[in-house]
Amino acid sequence: MGAARTEWFHRPRGGRVTCSGADIATHPLLERVEVRRNERVAEGVGLLVLHAPRIAATIEPGQFVHLRISTGADFILRRPFSVHRASGETIEVLYQVLGRGTRELATREAGDVMDAVGPLGNGWRVPVGAAHALLVAGGLGAAPLGMLAERLAQGGIAVSVAQGAPTAERLLARDLFDAAARRVVVATDDGSAGETGFVTGPSARLIAEDRPDVVYVCGPEIMTRAVAAQAAAAGIPCQVSLERLMACGIGACLSCVVTTTSGRKRACVDGPVFDAEEVCWDGSELPPRH
Amino acid sequence: MDRNSRPVTSAAGPAPGLGVDLAVEVAGLDLRNPVMTASGTFASGREFADFIDLSRLGALVTKGVSCEPWAGNDSPRIAETASGMLNSIGLQNPGVEAFCERDLAWLRGRDVPVIVNVSGHSVADYVAVVERLERETVVAAYEVNISCPNVDAGGMAFGTACAPAAEVTRAVRAVTRRPVIMKLSPNVTDIAEIARAVEAEGADAVSLINTLLGMAIDARTRRPKLARVVGGLSGPAIKPVALRMVWQVAHAVSVPVIGCGGIVTGEDAVEFLLAGATAVQVGTANFVDPTATMRVIDSIERYCARNGVACVRDLVGALEG
Repeated sequence: MGAARTEWFHRPRGGRVTCSGADIATHPLLERVEVRRNERVAEGVGLLVLHAPRIAATIEPGQFVHLRISTGADFILRRPFSVHRASGETIEVLYQVLGRGTRELATREAGDVMDAVGPLGNGWRVPVGAAHALLVAGGLGAAPLGMLAERLAQGGIAVSVAQGAPTAERLLARDLFDAAARRVVVATDDGSAGETGFVTGPSARLIAEDRPDVVYVCGPEIMTRAVAAQAAAAGIPCQVSLERLMACGIGACLSCVVTTTSGRKRACVDGPVFDAEEVCWDGSELPPRH
Repeated sequence: MDRNSRPVTSAAGPAPGLGVDLAVEVAGLDLRNPVMTASGTFASGREFADFIDLSRLGALVTKGVSCEPWAGNDSPRIAETASGMLNSIGLQNPGVEAFCERDLAWLRGRDVPVIVNVSGHSVADYVAVVERLERETVVAAYEVNISCPNVDAGGMAFGTACAPAAEVTRAVRAVTRRPVIMKLSPNVTDIAEIARAVEAEGADAVSLINTLLGMAIDARTRRPKLARVVGGLSGPAIKPVALRMVWQVAHAVSVPVIGCGGIVTGEDAVEFLLAGATAVQVGTANFVDPTATMRVIDSIERYCARNGVACVRDLVGALEG
């Protein structure tokens, strides 16, 4: 990006700017949470609603929780999940059933308890003076963008959304996007909704036509990287939320590193949201799963 | 021993603070209890301060520090396995100078004994790190890592044969009067032999085990799960191996043994003490539960209270059989 470095502001709950550029020092906590609902929302995708009053009270869009899915005799690491929505005393998590942890999570029922560490990580930030934001979501990447769309709209910022998924059924968080955005353009692999193809088609068009002040991206890394390149070519600041295999989630184990222009950073505490311009994509790895 | 011949501690025991003497002495260090953190699983403690009172730890062992900054290995760096995990972090650290400025500065005044884990690619590297740390008053002791399976030069290469293990010990011993703990690798034919070699060169204690070299493959993609292909196995899966090695080494040397490997509960820790460890380290469990060390301390105390053990030192090497 040729422009001078963007000045970012956090925009906490209620939309009041309280803190400049520097990262907010978040203090995660360990909270015993209760499952309120756990339901299938699409093929292979679940929605988990947790009663987590302490985390719900402070979590910001783009932050995540680290869930201890099983405490049985078998040893399972925590799994990190973006918070999709926080309202009152509950948080909502969208998850894709991919491996051992998420298969186990899919069996949890209302009334089950587990412990959660959160809020974790640095969430999305809003550039000074931004009036119009473009959100680009791929697949489950819609999860952390849903809460952002809602919050931006509350703060008086115009929202456009480009969303892609394999099928119409897997266009997630549509209620949040439809309520918050003035324009939503979708693409599906099979053409069952919107145009047929990848989300990079709609994102390129919205960048060109709407000239947003900021672009927020979350999805498969290859898609994230392509959209970041589109934003960079247009000279628009861009933030990306990245996913890595994670053990501790609090910055100690150094499992989840992302290669950046200023060295290797931890996705858990330095991210998961990064300025796209600081990410060294050539050092990026295959998508995580365990 | 018949497992039912002694009462077994349950999670819901008496509250802590029932007059059990938990203090131990290791390598000249007086510790308020036998529970330390295992290097590389606790950073320098700052990340855990939101969850626990660090001053309750027996000792805090930092992540390994080297002379120059190390970038570590490529990702993916971890893979979950049956009852454990593989890691190939590769000793990523900012170098000893930055470590002193950031980590040790933060640890000053925390009221916990700080044991700095030291790494190197060469004997001269180990010596240089220790010499720099000698100027830092907050350092209580050194744990010398001759057992990391995740770096190409140095690391485990020093810990898998007696001569280089002895050489590192001798070189570090020569530049400090502080306690020197040698952290041993399980990836050897006879760990007792290595322990005797470092004891002979003046090691004040040994800690074991570091991770077991392992590998995981994704059958779907036919690729290794770790970018570096191989990595170190930790977690409950390795506890039986660790217990066996602690037991062997405790019989082979007269310096204290610090036991480590798969400890999640207080009962796990007690097993290590019975096998001959004077203190224990909690590692991978910190990732799953940031309060794991506190739980282990409280649970050891409950075990002692329930079993009429007035002093935790009475458990050390008290294996019946």
